[in-house]
Amino acid sequence: MLNFLKILATPEFFFSIIRISAPILYATLAAIVVEKAGFANIGLEGLMMFSALAGSLVSYYAGSWFWGFLAALLTGVLMSLMMGFFAFQLKTDIILVGIAVNMMGSGGTLFLCKVITNLTRGKAMASTTGLITKSLCIPDITIPLLNKIPFLGKVLSGHNLLTYLAFLFVFLTSVMLYRTALGLNIRAVGENPNAASSVGVSVMRIKYIAMAFSGLMSGFGGAFMSMAYAQGWSLDMVSGRGFIALAAQAMGGGECLGGMLSALVFGFAQALGIKFSAVGLDSNLASPIPYAVTIIGLVVFAVVRNRRVKKQHSVAALEKAAGR
Amino acid sequence: MTKQRQLRFTVIRSLVAILIALLVATLLIFISASGATFHDKLEATREALKQMLAGPVFRFSKKNGTAFEAKRLADILAAMIPTIFTGLSVCVMFSANQFNLGAEGGIMLGAFVTAMVAIYLPLPAGLHPVVAVLIGGAAVALVMLLPALLKTKLNVSEMVCSLMLNYIIMYVIKYLMNTHLADKSRGQIMSYPFRGSSAISPIINNAVFSGAKLSWGFVIAIAAVILCGLFMYRSRWGYAIRMIGINQDFAKYSGMKVGAVIVLSQVLGGFLAGAGGGIEMLGRYTSFSWSALPGYGWTGITIAILAGNNPYMVPLAAFFMAYLSKGCDLMATYAKVPAQLIDIVQGVIFLFFAAEQFLSGYRQKLVVRSAQEEIERARAEGGRQNA
Repeated sequence: MLNFLKILATPEFFFSIIRISAPILYATLAAIVVEKAGFANIGLEGLMMFSALAGSLVSYYAGSWFWGFLAALLTGVLMSLMMGFFAFQLKTDIILVGIAVNMMGSGGTLFLCKVITNLTRGKAMASTTGLITKSLCIPDITIPLLNKIPFLGKVLSGHNLLTYLAFLFVFLTSVMLYRTALGLNIRAVGENPNAASSVGVSVMRIKYIAMAFSGLMSGFGGAFMSMAYAQGWSLDMVSGRGFIALAAQAMGGGECLGGMLSALVFGFAQALGIKFSAVGLDSNLASPIPYAVTIIGLVVFAVVRNRRVKKQHSVAALEKAAGR
Repeated sequence: MTKQRQLRFTVIRSLVAILIALLVATLLIFISASGATFHDKLEATREALKQMLAGPVFRFSKKNGTAFEAKRLADILAAMIPTIFTGLSVCVMFSANQFNLGAEGGIMLGAFVTAMVAIYLPLPAGLHPVVAVLIGGAAVALVMLLPALLKTKLNVSEMVCSLMLNYIIMYVIKYLMNTHLADKSRGQIMSYPFRGSSAISPIINNAVFSGAKLSWGFVIAIAAVILCGLFMYRSRWGYAIRMIGINQDFAKYSGMKVGAVIVLSQVLGGFLAGAGGGIEMLGRYTSFSWSALPGYGWTGITIAILAGNNPYMVPLAAFFMAYLSKGCDLMATYAKVPAQLIDIVQGVIFLFFAAEQFLSGYRQKLVVRSAQEEIERARAEGGRQNA
């Protein structure tokens, strides 16, 4: 047990928590913004799969990670706009749109991968891991000075570019939501679309923008998965992160900072699972830990929230009684 | 709108949705088809489409020409067994507006528990499969209590919770199979063989249909469809489930026990998925060897959407999906187009079926025409009375 704690107290362990949290964090930010706009995008998982595939393939064919990265972002945005078209124009239940995208994101991406590699290389490949080299991945960044600090330097420096961007986006998204006109409009549409509409806000446009934002974030997340977390795309590689993000959004109370903390909790759970299997625990017992933590987290959050609501109610009732 | 017009609209709308999906499929097949010239590609596409659309019931060969293939039809019917159950399961849960996506894990857990009962519990032949399937279903019903109760007591999203449960179920079963329950004498990871008494016997035996296998599970599945339909449309509880799905506030206002009904819908959905897994296991396999989620739960969601959450339409939708899936498999074998095309086609059909406003202009026209006719009729009748 003590030995195990020693493994956990290493900078590598904290480093891995941050690394693992990054894709969950992107998806969480996506979930937060659409939730603020008053709907839920459960297709994040599928969006990330498509973006991951696009990023990996384009970076291979263009010979540069930058174009792949842009392709991943573009794919995320375009697909989310398509989801928006079905949800807002054709009035498909947004949950069902999400399920459809997730369905396509699983087998459909494999189909595309096979077809595209077959057309260009004459051999259908079930993953792109064989094509991608380290130079086609998004680079890691060593931060000067910071990396000289013992322990902390090893934890915070040397992360992938996208990892740093993920945490930067927590700040940017928060500013966007609370300090800009757009953010105000998004929150207004989410809270009361009729009121927002009555003062001249185009509800449809705001919903599309929120959707596109979630697509952009999924694009970042997808690019991270296939171009930083792993070298290359493989089937079902997002493995539930899009769903975990939905839980992180709820647990974080729908706010950026809270969402970030919840994403870190899930990153911790996953990193712990990986460490557990490293010390000999069956990986099939370690793998479900993040999913179980998600359920527990949701329950804890719900209990706390319900208590708070009850307390507010009783305080309000007491004040009312005292006032009389 | 008259009932006849409503029906016509539904049929036309469904056909258009399927047509769009097939167009998308054709386009994708064309892109992926091999061939140097445009004409070659077109030819290859035609061949692939032929396999996909007609292949499931016909065999094409140069020597014998086109022949009806009973074995493939039996395969399709057999493939419907698990998806009918997951389709029903999703119907019941979605009818109450509960987006529980646990049918996927549910069918795996049901299959696993049933398999364990079939291996370790000695029972007489007639009783064994019944008990095994019931225990399998009950186990999943019990697990589905978790998302259901969390939803009603704490307002935790049943969707996220059930999704997480899918992963947990899969990993725990994999763990148990890898460690304690594996038959070490076999080459791959699988359980000990089921006791002979537990098998669900086949209706169709091999001699008639050259290797086709269809168990009595199919008949049980159809019986489940009828029972489920009766429950949803002819019972108090089914009515409550549908009412809560349509308008939860109104249902509450009119005195329904909303919480209890929400729990009931998910527990029943869990039972159906679990029992389906059990029946599939005992009807098709002789030992448990699933190492990943089988995908029947997701197909079940598509089926429920195609069926419009109406249990009676589930077999039709399940047949359609099984046919399409078989077609895609054949296409992959004979035309070198990856079989995962099914996922894209499924997704597209799904999107258009669920789209409320899809072809709404046409529906509007029908509604207007019906209304005009009604006015005409009323006017004519009124005139007669005056005269």
